[in-house]
Amino acid sequence: MEIVQLFITCLVDTFYPETGQAIVDILSRLGQQVEFPADQTCCGQPAFNAGLRANARPLAEHTIKVFEATRGAIIIPSGSCAVMLKEGYPELFAGDSFWLPRARALAERTHEFTEYLVDMLGVTDLGARWDGPLAYHASCHPNRHLGLNRQPQALLAAVQGATLVPLNEAEECCGFGGVFSVKHPELSTELLKRKIANLQASTAPTLVVTEAGCRMNIAGGLSKQKMPQHVVHIAEVLNSR
Amino acid sequence: MLKTSFREKVRSQIADTSLQAALDANTERRVRARINAWASLPDWQERRQRTHAVRAEIIAHLDEYLEKFIARVQGNGIQVHPASNAAEAVRLVLEIAKNSSTQAPGEPLLFAKAKSMVSEEIELNHALEAAGHQVFETDLGEFIVQLRGERPAHIITPAVHLRRQQVGQLFHEKLGSPYTDDVRVLTDTARARLRQVFFSADVGLSGVNFGVVETGSLVIVSNEGNARMCASLPPVHIALMGLERMLPNLDDLALCLSLLPRSAAGQKLSVYTQLIQRPEGGQQKHLILLDNGRFRLRNSPLKEALYCIRCGSCLNVCPVFREIGGHGYLGADGSSAPYSGPIGSVISPGLLGDHFSQLAQASTLCGACKQACPVDIDLPKLLLRVRAGGYSGLSNNQAVSQTSPPQPFFLTTGLKAYSRMATHPGLFKFAQKLAGLLSLPLPGFIPLPAATGWGFSRDLPKPAASPFRERYRLSQPAQVPDIYPAGQMEPALPEPAASRPEKPGFEQVPAEKIESFSRELAAVGGFVYVVGAAELAGRLSGFLRERSIEHIQMWAGIPGLEWDDLVDFDPVPGFQPQAQAGITGALAGIAETGTLVLPAGGDHQPLSASLLPAIHIAVLPASRLLTSLEQVMRLPQVASAPATVLITGPSRTADIEMTLTIGVHGPKELHVFLVDDEAIK
Repeated sequence: MEIVQLFITCLVDTFYPETGQAIVDILSRLGQQVEFPADQTCCGQPAFNAGLRANARPLAEHTIKVFEATRGAIIIPSGSCAVMLKEGYPELFAGDSFWLPRARALAERTHEFTEYLVDMLGVTDLGARWDGPLAYHASCHPNRHLGLNRQPQALLAAVQGATLVPLNEAEECCGFGGVFSVKHPELSTELLKRKIANLQASTAPTLVVTEAGCRMNIAGGLSKQKMPQHVVHIAEVLNSR
Repeated sequence: MLKTSFREKVRSQIADTSLQAALDANTERRVRARINAWASLPDWQERRQRTHAVRAEIIAHLDEYLEKFIARVQGNGIQVHPASNAAEAVRLVLEIAKNSSTQAPGEPLLFAKAKSMVSEEIELNHALEAAGHQVFETDLGEFIVQLRGERPAHIITPAVHLRRQQVGQLFHEKLGSPYTDDVRVLTDTARARLRQVFFSADVGLSGVNFGVVETGSLVIVSNEGNARMCASLPPVHIALMGLERMLPNLDDLALCLSLLPRSAAGQKLSVYTQLIQRPEGGQQKHLILLDNGRFRLRNSPLKEALYCIRCGSCLNVCPVFREIGGHGYLGADGSSAPYSGPIGSVISPGLLGDHFSQLAQASTLCGACKQACPVDIDLPKLLLRVRAGGYSGLSNNQAVSQTSPPQPFFLTTGLKAYSRMATHPGLFKFAQKLAGLLSLPLPGFIPLPAATGWGFSRDLPKPAASPFRERYRLSQPAQVPDIYPAGQMEPALPEPAASRPEKPGFEQVPAEKIESFSRELAAVGGFVYVVGAAELAGRLSGFLRERSIEHIQMWAGIPGLEWDDLVDFDPVPGFQPQAQAGITGALAGIAETGTLVLPAGGDHQPLSASLLPAIHIAVLPASRLLTSLEQVMRLPQVASAPATVLITGPSRTADIEMTLTIGVHGPKELHVFLVDDEAIK
């Protein structure tokens, strides 16, 4: 059995534990021994993206220490946190000969969830079943920063019973952007409105995302507008039977 | 605290429905055009990486390249004036104009100006007008925004924010022309008004897209023809160039030219690509090389921003630009940033000061800009560095800065507190559990006040009563023993990237070149007639007669054509206002893009014949068709002539509502008589 480490991320941990559970189930069925280092917290992305690098750094050091004590691939159900580990940490520790090699070693072990399934384990068909249409929103960090679009699409295409309906402007940002959503609510709202209008036009009752941030944003917007559609993380679709 | 002016501007831009319609149209058309144009280059991805490397090389050795470039340009007879800041550049323009003017001292001068982002950066128009001079922007879009007293709203499409009715009303009020919303008529109105300016201007001003170090060439790309007129008609031409815009040699130029027009406007080549080497016909040429913070930026973590070739792609794909347009980008002092969009949110603070650093907050970091950049500039990374502050004057790549830019108070405090708490796992778990328990009685989504930012358009999902970590702990029957089996885990290899097919290296046979040239030129609105060598003179006369043309400007020494052949049409080599058509030869043609290559050939073969008459007719032997731009750049005449222009179609603009209009300042028609000398063999 391969040992893998689950870095659950603060948003999934706090708001969407069911996503975490689905990931553990899926990986276990694929013969992976999933470990969860209990001292993990937040990768530091919120502070880093706000420009507060001095505040992000202790969290990066903490995360590196927690996962250095473990072995195997580190699986993250969020592309933006994966980008934080892979690109943000080396940026934070640039020129630091003590921390930079450790950050690089961590980055090497880091995999976004769908990337791990498709590219590392070589599976797309997880035997999942889903009744009804699904629309897929290509979350920006996995799609553009990590180049992961084919992987989630292939996984969804193999889900029995589900019909993937086209979503107009599927690759356009939903307007979350972390601190951006709070700092520039007017701009964020315009992007969100467009995403929701496109979802509505797609007629799908369910939108699949690969980022907890997009989920909070779009689901929160749907709730505010009292609309019936709901948003799920891809892991929950892949774990349904 | 975030200054309210930017937020207020954002709100008013979003509320402007005609602006929103214009920006949506810009996004849709430009993005589609770029993607289609890139698709015509099978190896575009590799070209992006090569362009990145070329630009990185220049920026890494900026001093050495600059020294060689200046020496070469001066050796070519163009006077070079380095300017360390905006004030110095403005002073230089005024001085050059004054010293070279034939007007009486103190008389106001007339400036004909082509598009230049550097001139916006140094606020040149304002300074020239303050000194009593008159400046005419001659690019159609720039002319429109100047009449409105605005800055350009886009690097490439200055009047992107306006509808045709607004332009019609503006021309009616400012130029006295009858109101119309017919784009063709509006374009002709501007053409007629600005023609007078080109011929009476004391000074021509232009920007520079690239400076080629090896040859000292100043390269200017444009579509309307105004940049060619500003550079060649007035007795003095002053070119303004950011000192980072150099390329080592003509091969690198061919590479960059394969990406710039495609990225900017979805064109394989712009209509006009000028390479200017030497002054001609008694004209004075000056080059102002502007630093204005570029060297400082080079030594900062924002260095990569200097790789930019100003195509505007990152603006077109940016979801924030799509909402607020170029005029929405305001500094903390309320001033409008000359450079907008993702690249502007890096270089405006990087070059012009900290008051623009708040622009970097207006990004979701979605990465569309990086994906669209023809130079593969990592814009999200640079935006994050601007947010981190402390970039100005840093001598090395210090990722962690000591100073942080201003943030809204509650955000900064909240994020700092959260980050501190999260470094203590026990505290983190406790807070998480507490939040879950406190939210227990609440509904699934918690409404928040709009003032929180989040609550503006969203409810907050409630924290789970039992976070994942707790569920996980409870689901584990016993802790996994802390002993790992021996042997390293072997990670599975990622699948290899699909290999790209090699670009075919075969040479096209002439028939295919002719077909390709004709197809490409037709696609940009030009006409091609394949004629035998013996019938050339007859076909040309027939064409001129059919179009009732009585006066022509004609090059001497066009192969296959005697002067007497067209003597009925009053041929003159130099420009005469009554000339209805200009007949030229061509050094070469480019089959891939439908392009003509014309070097300036003195009084007998002036480039004005391809620019000033309303119809341009070119005679090109088919044997001179080459396949690619790269091959053309290796022809010795390209760099040895005083100037060379690559012409791809009749002049055009899409400055009003992105409506393609053929015929602006340059010719309205382009006809190529392709003499099939090969086919005879």
